[in-house]
Amino acid sequence: MSESAAQNILFGSLVAGAIGMWLAASQRAAGLRLLGSILASAGLIAAVTTFGNPAGDLTDKILFWMFTGSALLSAVMMVTSRSPVYAALWFALATLGACGLFMMQSAPFLAAATIIVYAGAIIVTFLFVIMLAQQQGRVFYDYRSRTPIMSIVASWLMLAALLWNFQEWQKKAPAADGGPALTAAAASNPFSEPKENSPYGSLRSLGLSLFGDYLYAVEIAGTLLLVAGIGAIAIAPRRAEGTL
Amino acid sequence: MDAILEYIPKELITTLVTIAVVVGVTLGVISYLILLERKLSAWMQDRRGPNRVGPMGIFQPLADGAKFLLKEEVTPAGADKVLFYAAPGIGFMTTMLAFSVVPFGPVGVEGIPWFVRFLIAPDVNIGIVFIFAITSLSVYGVILGGWASNNKYSALGSLRASAQVISYEIPLGMSILGIALLGSTLDINTLLMQQTGSFWDWYFWTQPLACLIFFTSALAEANRLPFDLSECEQELVGGFHTEYSSMKFALFFLGEYAHVILTSFLTSILFFGGWHFPWIATPESAYTGAWVVKIGVLLFKVGMVIVFIMLLRWTIPRFRFDQLMNLSWKALIPLSLANMVAVMTVLQFGWDRWWLTPISLGLFAVAGLISVAMKRAEIRHRPSAAELAHQFAT
Repeated sequence: MSESAAQNILFGSLVAGAIGMWLAASQRAAGLRLLGSILASAGLIAAVTTFGNPAGDLTDKILFWMFTGSALLSAVMMVTSRSPVYAALWFALATLGACGLFMMQSAPFLAAATIIVYAGAIIVTFLFVIMLAQQQGRVFYDYRSRTPIMSIVASWLMLAALLWNFQEWQKKAPAADGGPALTAAAASNPFSEPKENSPYGSLRSLGLSLFGDYLYAVEIAGTLLLVAGIGAIAIAPRRAEGTL
Repeated sequence: MDAILEYIPKELITTLVTIAVVVGVTLGVISYLILLERKLSAWMQDRRGPNRVGPMGIFQPLADGAKFLLKEEVTPAGADKVLFYAAPGIGFMTTMLAFSVVPFGPVGVEGIPWFVRFLIAPDVNIGIVFIFAITSLSVYGVILGGWASNNKYSALGSLRASAQVISYEIPLGMSILGIALLGSTLDINTLLMQQTGSFWDWYFWTQPLACLIFFTSALAEANRLPFDLSECEQELVGGFHTEYSSMKFALFFLGEYAHVILTSFLTSILFFGGWHFPWIATPESAYTGAWVVKIGVLLFKVGMVIVFIMLLRWTIPRFRFDQLMNLSWKALIPLSLANMVAVMTVLQFGWDRWWLTPISLGLFAVAGLISVAMKRAEIRHRPSAAELAHQFAT
């Protein structure tokens, strides 16, 4: 397959998926929505299949499909479930599936940190809010998308950018076993650049990489978080002394 | 037999055997720990405790188990059935999963059969973080159990319990950072091996403050007294598990007890040298059955911590909720941060490690002085009854 043909297939399927999702999310007849869901799924599957199967032995493949399947299924259940509590729980399960994939990529610390931050803290806070704010359970505005077009454009553009990058990497450095390989040039940005052949998987190399290769990014992100934290305290409403 | 064995990976068999042994032993031990706890509390309160079922009451756990199995299953009307049934399982399962990276004995020694291994998942180089990640999921059991019960009091109780668990996760994680920096690893077995040089290599001596913070927050995570606000039996009638009966109720408490065992394992491994004891069990000890002695030493230490937790239950009164939150956010988190800064300073400037002991004790003393001074100032500036009456009248 020629390069431009592969690109056409990729972007064609992405556009089809976006249109399908727009049909599925808007207020239309049930038949149209069903058609939209089918189109969206087909587009997504077509886009993903342009990348071939994961490399590795049988155990790796089984684990990969298990984690991917559970993550995707939970993601779909999350956006389609009508009860906000269940949506939050599916979100947690999707996170766990993604963490399994991180584990397979020799990034156990990233997996554990993601579980702590997302599944252990953020989603629990969501649950707090949902349980306190909606004691009746379902509220009409939770299962109706109001401005689907913006979110669909944003999310599918992001997906397209990601997949296009994967395709570029695959073209530039085809690994020996057929899997995509990340070259230094592809991942470089004006501030940070990963070293070639740096050892991966251990905590030590993660620390060295974060505070060596990516020092600027880490510091800028930390400063941003600090500013956001101070800002949140500054704009929080003040109450009289001794009241809740 | 050997022909069959060739087709089955040894690693798989070892793992399955280890999992079976760990789960079985833990569950069996939990039921007898409950008996021990009841006996100890009876002893501390000058009464007899369970003594009807079997000699000295040793069949009491069996009777309790039978009762849990045979009691009526009550599901409240309007409850979310799926979550109502899943919640106790989540709470129990997450705690048991954390045992997969805890070494139960000397790992990687010669002279033990191939199917015996003292660690379910070896070569996990993020051991402690993995445990924190998995146990941070146990809050789902609490919060879903309370919400799914379709009972306002349960829902409020679950919010309160999860607020406690989430708050104490922060000092729990930060107290370990000092040890992680000193040992420059997060692997539990490596941290254990670093303490096997001599008695004075135990991290308790250089990190006493971290040990205190870790133990306190772990108690709060496990909902044990003096932090059992989520279910304080005398005043709340249950909290988040008011609507739970029979085996579902038992699962919540099995999870809690498994958490106590996990805490005791971590405390004795991280701060008290694990299976190491001078002259009895050292890396050099090569006498026959040394590995059995090492397991014995570790289990003895774990047992001591568990008994200490039980004794604490009848020694310190329960905290009030605002005191609980103040302790976490105003005392434990700043202290653990200061401890971490101290360790970083010592390591950066290459000072002697023993400076950490006086620094830890000094931090503890300063924290005590500050809190006493604050309390005195608060008492001095407390408004009089007349002022309060005026304030509420306007």
